[in-house]
Amino acid sequence: MNAVKTIFRNPPLLTFVLVALVWLVASFTLRGFGAYGHLRYLLELAAVIGIAAAGQTLVILMGGIDLSVGAVITVTAILLPLISPAWDPTGLVGIALALSIATGIGVLNGAGAAYLRVPPIIMTLAMATFLQGLLVIVAGGSAVTVSNPAVILLGQSRPLGVPSGVLLWLAVSAVVLILIHRMPIGARFLAIGANPLAARLSGVSLPRNTLILYALSGFFAGLAGILVLGMNRQGYVGIGDPYLLTSIAAVVLGGTSILGGRGTYAGTIPGAILLVTTTALITVVNASPGWRSIMFGTLILALLLVSGREARR
Amino acid sequence: MTDQKPLLEARQVFKGFFGNPVLKGVDIALRPGRVHALLGENGAGKSTLINLLSGALQPDSGTIAVDGKPVGRFSPAAARAAGIAVVQQELSLTADLSIAENIGLGAFPRRFGLIDYAELHRGVREVCAMVGLTEPLDMPVADLALGRRQMVEIAKALYRRPRVLILDEPTSSLSAHEAGILADVIEALRDRGTALLYISHRLNEVQALCSHVTVLKDGGVTADQSLSGIDGEGLVRLMVGRETGDLFPPRAAANPGVLRIGVEGFSAGLVRDITFSGRAGEIIGIGGLVGQGQEDLLLGLYGAIPAKAVKAEVSGKPGLPADVGAANAAGLVYVPADRKHEGLVLPHSIASNLILPSLGRLARNGFRDRAAETGLIAELAKRLTIKGDVARPVQALSGGNQQKVALAKWLPLDPSVLLLNDPTRGVDIETKREIYLMLRGFATEGRLVIIASSDTPELVHLCDRVVVLREGAVAAELSGGAISEEAIVGAAMGVDRKGAAA
Repeated sequence: MNAVKTIFRNPPLLTFVLVALVWLVASFTLRGFGAYGHLRYLLELAAVIGIAAAGQTLVILMGGIDLSVGAVITVTAILLPLISPAWDPTGLVGIALALSIATGIGVLNGAGAAYLRVPPIIMTLAMATFLQGLLVIVAGGSAVTVSNPAVILLGQSRPLGVPSGVLLWLAVSAVVLILIHRMPIGARFLAIGANPLAARLSGVSLPRNTLILYALSGFFAGLAGILVLGMNRQGYVGIGDPYLLTSIAAVVLGGTSILGGRGTYAGTIPGAILLVTTTALITVVNASPGWRSIMFGTLILALLLVSGREARR
Repeated sequence: MTDQKPLLEARQVFKGFFGNPVLKGVDIALRPGRVHALLGENGAGKSTLINLLSGALQPDSGTIAVDGKPVGRFSPAAARAAGIAVVQQELSLTADLSIAENIGLGAFPRRFGLIDYAELHRGVREVCAMVGLTEPLDMPVADLALGRRQMVEIAKALYRRPRVLILDEPTSSLSAHEAGILADVIEALRDRGTALLYISHRLNEVQALCSHVTVLKDGGVTADQSLSGIDGEGLVRLMVGRETGDLFPPRAAANPGVLRIGVEGFSAGLVRDITFSGRAGEIIGIGGLVGQGQEDLLLGLYGAIPAKAVKAEVSGKPGLPADVGAANAAGLVYVPADRKHEGLVLPHSIASNLILPSLGRLARNGFRDRAAETGLIAELAKRLTIKGDVARPVQALSGGNQQKVALAKWLPLDPSVLLLNDPTRGVDIETKREIYLMLRGFATEGRLVIIASSDTPELVHLCDRVVVLREGAVAAELSGGAISEEAIVGAAMGVDRKGAAA
């Protein structure tokens, strides 16, 4: 009884348990679900969501939200093949350039929120719309094929049987968890999220931390964009769209308060896996795309009721 | 006329919030045809008593009686039905609705379920004429100046044709002309047999309008008497005058050290063009009625709101701190009055609240040093006798202990100037004593303590020097033997010491 209580008090743990249960039941009832190859594929898909949701987690912890995540993924996936210089055989220069652009977009979001006092929801949504328009002009609606070797390696290689994307996600997870729990800035983010006024009067600089946060969110979205590009080998307008809702859903499924101030990336990790699993299960069911969308939305709501429930204050 | 049966009474009412008693057995009786004054310093329990009389709050014990009959559960609706109307100090108008709609809100005349605007305007025009509101009735309240809005608020109360009218500081935002109209309205209502309760800090108004006074102090009634033959000074004496006990630490001989803060022509928020200075080892009190710029003075010095000064020196450097970070770096710290919203991150643990300002200082190579943090937290908790598990959320603590956390978190910074905004509001007497001892200790150690307070005894018995603010300007600067409750209250209300009403 006590163990059950502990699980319900600990959202990240609860989400992990939920994932394990779904995987167990699905493995026994659905043929092929429990195969190593399939589970590995699920994790690979979850890695993109997880990396995009890393920045989203940080932003939401501070009481903000980043609605430009999907657009930044698309921007990176389309621009990277175009800006990777031919003289660089490794492809790392192109990656660095693309990440700088993504981070720069984040800085602009942060500057708007911090200095112009535009509400983050408006600032990032406007940024997303702006970027989408820009991409239609730049890419003209056609898909771009990637030839950058580093990006292809990231998307396709499997050292020791583990996809590189999953390894990248592990590294990102370690960095974000250390940032939140082992560095002063993480504690400041949480304080701002819970009570910005008290945090400010305690000497925590709101503009500085807001800038850092949105820059990080842009960076991680860019990273997710590079991974998506590597996995698809093609970038096209709209490639990042599915990751906006899923990045937010993963954060909330992990028990992080959408109001800020409470939560951890440790919950977002199983949250991302749970989302991908749900999508996979729906795909198995023979239904039209319309019904799949309806089922997906319903399931997310149901999952939120179980795990990501907002504690009453 | 005053022998008539009271229309509205409170009998031995008690009311407390979160274990802090606010009213301790209060009696008051409002009789028809009489203007009754309710006096008391900030925090004496006036607002709570009004809320009980208007049904907004329920007494913990004691009864509210209408027409001599005790009412069981008194709700705002029951109060309205009994003909009780309140003109609130905080305006309760809806900015986007018109004057007529605001006045009629909640009491709209209906026709076929719809608002009967013709009827509404007829009734509204009548009350507006009474209070001298000549603006078009369909004008949104948002377009009115503060004083005009207050008149709308008064008209709104009159529209309900109250038998009992409670006016909570109705003139604080009115011009002299408007206040004169209000005085006429009050006299007309009184002659018509309405029972009026009049709360004001302007003693000359109280003298001119009221015939009976109830004085509240620390939640008890200290006077309930006729006002005839009592002058301004007498009123002040009724409000002050209590034994202070040994709540306050002995005052050391004043021995001010180096200049820590010196500003000339300083303006911030409500504060306009004042000169102010403080030296190491001093405790300086900032007094005055609520909202005369005390908080803005502290926030301006702290860099938390825009401030400017003709000449400024803070901690030996010229200029004011640009932001909170700069103020902290200069050795200034600030403890807000509203600890729940401004001082503490309530859902977070005691430990994370205590460590928040020290995070950067304690970090090693960019990472948090858990051992050092735990040590510091334990030391602070011990020093301030914060008992129990520091992993508990800070909102689980009592008001007094929360205040200790809000103060303790600054100690690791070794501040040279402490800015405190009403640090003992809602704090129990034992913790008050601890806080006073601590503040005196800080001064002895050579720190400058600046404390804004609504608690006059605190200013008198704790502070070496008291600056009284009134409408953003310095109304009086008192030191040594000149500091007295009479002098502070008098200066705050603009009454000079002879007692002649200003």
